[in-house]
Amino acid sequence: MFLQINAIADVLNSSEWLFPIAECFHIAAFAWSIGLIAAVDYRLLGFGIEHSTPSEVLRDTAPWTLLGLAVVLLSGPLLFLSDARMYLHNPSFVFKMYALAAAILFNYTIHRQVAKSDSSSQAVRMVTAIVSLALWISVVFGGLFIAFA
Amino acid sequence: MLLEFVQWIQLTGFFTALRGSAYVYPIVLSLHMVGIALFGGMILITDLRLLGWGMRKRSIAEVVNQFRVPKRWGLLLTVTCGFLMFGSKAEEYYYNAFFRTKLILLALVLVAELVFYRGVYANPAALDQAPSVPGNAKLAAALSLLLWTSIACCGRGIGYIEPPLDKIHARIHVIYDAALTVPRGLYIQKGQDHQDVSANQRHSGRAE
Repeated sequence: MFLQINAIADVLNSSEWLFPIAECFHIAAFAWSIGLIAAVDYRLLGFGIEHSTPSEVLRDTAPWTLLGLAVVLLSGPLLFLSDARMYLHNPSFVFKMYALAAAILFNYTIHRQVAKSDSSSQAVRMVTAIVSLALWISVVFGGLFIAFA
Repeated sequence: MLLEFVQWIQLTGFFTALRGSAYVYPIVLSLHMVGIALFGGMILITDLRLLGWGMRKRSIAEVVNQFRVPKRWGLLLTVTCGFLMFGSKAEEYYYNAFFRTKLILLALVLVAELVFYRGVYANPAALDQAPSVPGNAKLAAALSLLLWTSIACCGRGIGYIEPPLDKIHARIHVIYDAALTVPRGLYIQKGQDHQDVSANQRHSGRAE
């Protein structure tokens, strides 16, 4: 298991503070990015900023969402590399990775298209918003359950 | 007196049952995190707008007023789950330095809210009329970002502090955050041992 022995793990495990700090970045950034995606979902569901179309909310939040996701996707692998073997054998972690891949894929394909098109029907919007929220909530649950699996 | 109060809370039937369940605690914790994500995003949008960094095409009034309701739902979910977790292990949280810091920071959020309520949050339409966002609104937003981020970090910190086992009365049955350095089985055993020891000490104390 070559992933287990790496310089990043040595650094992360050498200090009492580095892993928690990386975790704090991970948590703060996921709250930001998922919350901003939720703001678009709220708009698709019909509440949130009433005078804005979903495409406007998407355009206003997208750069910040991307920034949050970038921090999440940088800090996440650091946490993973600190104990790669444990994570790979952790069913919650594996579930989280599938959910995350699905959530990101959905977010930048269907979700984006539906939010951008102001002519999509209310039914399509609601289904998209609910799927998006469900996927991201699954990711959060998967992450939390890593510690309990 | 505060210690007796937290001991009483965790010994109520409801919280004893919560503590004893293997699944309820992680589910409540996950919902707490979901609440944080929903609430945190809304806070971020509002603060970015007040700072003038994002959502600039929307008026401040629109952003502040219209995210108020979803923000409150997120907060309600987070606080409810937080209270459930606190109640189930109230005595442990009582001794936890990160938990105490978190409560102080939450009190500071409340103070900031009261200080800035009249000038910023109660009448956001007035902020739109100013040529640029007034300084006190920017200060309120910066403080809000700083405080809430610190609160989230303190929340994570709670799990890193080992409870003082010799002082804890509640028996933790099944679960404990695996991020703690104490292995689960050892933790339960140690807890019981310590309880016995402290019980003996109390008895001998009385005998003397």
